[in-house]
Amino acid sequence: MSSHTDKPATTRASDGTFDIDRRQFLTTTAVVGGGMVLGFWMPSRKAEAAIIPADLHTRPEPWYRDGQVPEINAWLTIGPDDTVTIRIGQVDLGTGVMTTNAMMVAEELQCDWTKVRSEYASANRDVKEKAPAWTIKVPGGGNAHDPAGGGKPDQVGGPETDTGVYRRMGVGSSGNVRESRFYLQLAGAEARERLLLAAATEWKVPVSELVAKNSVITHARSKRQINYGAIASKAAQIQLPDPSRIRMKPPDTWTLMGTEQPNRDVPVKVTGQAKYAVDILMPGMLYAAVKCCPVWGGDARSYNFDAVRNMPGVQSVVRLPLDKSGRAKEVLGRTTKDGFYSGGVAIIADTWWHAHKALEAMPIEWDRGPGGSATTASIFGEHLAKLKAPGKVIVNEGNVDTAMGNGARIIEATYSVPYVRRGRMEPGNATVLVSDNRVDIWVGDQQPQRTLQNAAMLTGIAPPNVYLHMCYLGGGYGSSGNGPQAEHAVYIANTVRGRPVKMMWTREEDWGVGTTFSPLHIGKCRAAVDANGWPVAMEIDYVQTVGVAWPADSRGLAMPPYWVPHYRLNQHIATCHIPPGRVRSTGARPNAFYLETFIDELAHAAGKDPYQYRRELIARNPPENMQDRFMGTGVGGFRYRDDWLRALDMVAKMSDWGKKLPEGWAQGIAIDDRRRGVGRGGGRQGTICAQVHTVEVTRRGQVRVHRSDVVFDTGFSLINPLTVRKNIEGQIAWGISDALYQEVNVKDGAMVECNFDTYPVIRMNEYPKEINVQWLKTNKWIEGAGEEAIPCVTPAIYNAVFKITGKRIREVPLKNHDLSWGAQTA
Amino acid sequence: MAFTLLVNNIQYAVDVEPDTPLLWVLRDSIGLTGTKYGCGIGQCGACTVLMNGTAVRSCSLTVSRAMGTPVTTIEGLSPDGSHPVQLAWKEFDAPQCGYCQSGMILATVALLQKTPKPTDADIDAQITNACRCGTYHRIRQAIHRAAQMRA
Repeated sequence: MSSHTDKPATTRASDGTFDIDRRQFLTTTAVVGGGMVLGFWMPSRKAEAAIIPADLHTRPEPWYRDGQVPEINAWLTIGPDDTVTIRIGQVDLGTGVMTTNAMMVAEELQCDWTKVRSEYASANRDVKEKAPAWTIKVPGGGNAHDPAGGGKPDQVGGPETDTGVYRRMGVGSSGNVRESRFYLQLAGAEARERLLLAAATEWKVPVSELVAKNSVITHARSKRQINYGAIASKAAQIQLPDPSRIRMKPPDTWTLMGTEQPNRDVPVKVTGQAKYAVDILMPGMLYAAVKCCPVWGGDARSYNFDAVRNMPGVQSVVRLPLDKSGRAKEVLGRTTKDGFYSGGVAIIADTWWHAHKALEAMPIEWDRGPGGSATTASIFGEHLAKLKAPGKVIVNEGNVDTAMGNGARIIEATYSVPYVRRGRMEPGNATVLVSDNRVDIWVGDQQPQRTLQNAAMLTGIAPPNVYLHMCYLGGGYGSSGNGPQAEHAVYIANTVRGRPVKMMWTREEDWGVGTTFSPLHIGKCRAAVDANGWPVAMEIDYVQTVGVAWPADSRGLAMPPYWVPHYRLNQHIATCHIPPGRVRSTGARPNAFYLETFIDELAHAAGKDPYQYRRELIARNPPENMQDRFMGTGVGGFRYRDDWLRALDMVAKMSDWGKKLPEGWAQGIAIDDRRRGVGRGGGRQGTICAQVHTVEVTRRGQVRVHRSDVVFDTGFSLINPLTVRKNIEGQIAWGISDALYQEVNVKDGAMVECNFDTYPVIRMNEYPKEINVQWLKTNKWIEGAGEEAIPCVTPAIYNAVFKITGKRIREVPLKNHDLSWGAQTA
Repeated sequence: MAFTLLVNNIQYAVDVEPDTPLLWVLRDSIGLTGTKYGCGIGQCGACTVLMNGTAVRSCSLTVSRAMGTPVTTIEGLSPDGSHPVQLAWKEFDAPQCGYCQSGMILATVALLQKTPKPTDADIDAQITNACRCGTYHRIRQAIHRAAQMRA
């Protein structure tokens, strides 16, 4: 066997066809059995190297391999032919990380980009090796406004907790570039400096006289040149006298970063070769199907394996426990981090289809737990009751109670958003082989470090003996996106040590209790406006469920961009058995919907144009240079006023705002920065996005988005503008699905809409025929680009729908509302 | 039960129950994993393959019904990604996570066989696959480009 993923053995039958007798094959391997299995699936390193197609920049199997050529530092190796292999520590969710992160290293390395390959870094190595000292400190000290610095990473699980060499390997919170850019640039620079030092030592010339460019080091005075590949083994031996002196290249000196680079994994994704975890096939592999109680906190009370044990291919049953104590509950339930999943049962068989059929046929009695009678209506009712009860004051500027009485009129509106999920396409799965002293996991995983630790806990095998083979990943969309897929697989495979097991959830399992949900959310906005329709006081109340993974999220609402002299924000907390999770755009989904719809309502009540109304209220904020005294105080602490105004003007101009449109068409506008004011004194770097959507509603009420115009904040520079452009195009699709269709209801405590028929994703025919994206350059490092265009989509579309139909929709999604208008023809 | 399938011009004999969906035979018995499972109910299109050149959803088609009809999967389109649809996909950098793209590409191949110069309306009507990353904008451009290349 030459690779991990070779197909099951096939033999040529006497009639010339390929004969695959899986059962016979499995019998054979079962005889070989146990640790012997290791003998034939572990690849020969030489063979691995030989099968890499020369023209591919990522392999079909993207996981880490031990380098066969000199390693300069943990991030890169350089071969004799100048091939640079860059190890990508962060996870590519289809977001271009394999390309973007390689660009950050290659920019500083000053190597030939055409000879760069990307592969995943080893999470196992991350356990065994500490981060070099020179990767710890953020150049610029975390100042988002220093172009030569590393921006302002969250340092979530910073040096104190992420002590491993690859630091933060998990991806979420749009954080890939924000969190890793500084040390990836430093890694490229460290390697470059060592190559230079090795050449200088070789030639006995001062290192300052050398120039590195395009994988060649030149000493102009003596007309000497050497390729990186020729000096790499010496550079691998040499150490810099003072690595703390390494500097990052600021954007005005970049040659690769900031340019549009095609995503390097595209060639293997158009041929079907790209290996997702679900595609892993191994000799002797067993399959497992899983069913958990569809209600969170529920469990299997009893099941009858005897009824199905004689079905084709069935091997064994595994109880996925949710017992009252012990590690299995802690890890499988992920109670410490992501809330509470439910317990269930798995069946192991020779094929997944056999496992699935047996599990479907097996009688299981559920204990639905304390949430077992909840419905959407009961949960909504409980939230509404909490909203009406006194809440916690988050922001209190001026004197709202007095000012509310001083306006010409009061305008009030209550909005809500439903439960939604990420809705990834690849169902939860992982392939795991546990032997007595080693765990191997093939998985597409947003949190590899956590998964590795959990696998160690579940098996009792030490973390340094756990290996994660990172596969391509069929959609991410949120930091807790995996659910306990790897944990289920490890737990099941641990019952049949020595045999690889592929565990895969059905779509319904994955979208039911396999994921977490962005919670149901209700917000009430109230404003007193003066005789001209300008707000003099505003109060917003919101209610949501909180959980460990999602604390109450006031972002956006804590610091409205619209100047109101008196402002109060009140937070109300509801409890629910459904754990809230993070879905792309998180708290901005409700918060921007409330604020950007309400401001439109105020503009309409004032008889003013919604673009101009927004513009005026943003312009009333104190200018940038007066902001220090307001910093962190909610209203008045709003930053980047002038950038917001530019964004608004740009989007109005590019969309030809106010132009004449056919009957039944209208434009809707929204602007947001989902990061502003998240309890960090408002000093975060932010990412501004403004949008105009051109929408049609037919007289019968059918909605179509025809055109989307987007202004997006690039800060000093994006790394790969092509990737961000693609991501924004996708975020528009995401937002339209949210606005039009997506909701998950609750019945008998369980999620109702668990497949594509009831939880629709927009298709080709519903995507706007025209989409325009323009970049807004600002003087800061932006926060991220993975979800920042989503929050504007729903309010902008709803604002357009109002213009056309006169119907102000305050409850997402649109499919639940009759949008017909005017005289109906037959 | 033994079935003979003609997939990408290779004949395979497989031993499975007759109600096994073609998808699982392709993926787990034959090892052609480019065809993906997304919904299991014929909704999302990730499992799209060609049967006699027509796009079908292999998760909802039993192996017994696939007997005797040539099947093309993504692996059978070209040995090296050089099919015009694949070239166009690369030119527009269409995939993001890539999971739905095998199905998208095969649906496009079927569309172009029937409608060599598709209008936007043709594309809307006939490419009904789901992409959660939302790559529709680039896919539409790539379909037009592939049509041009084939001409």
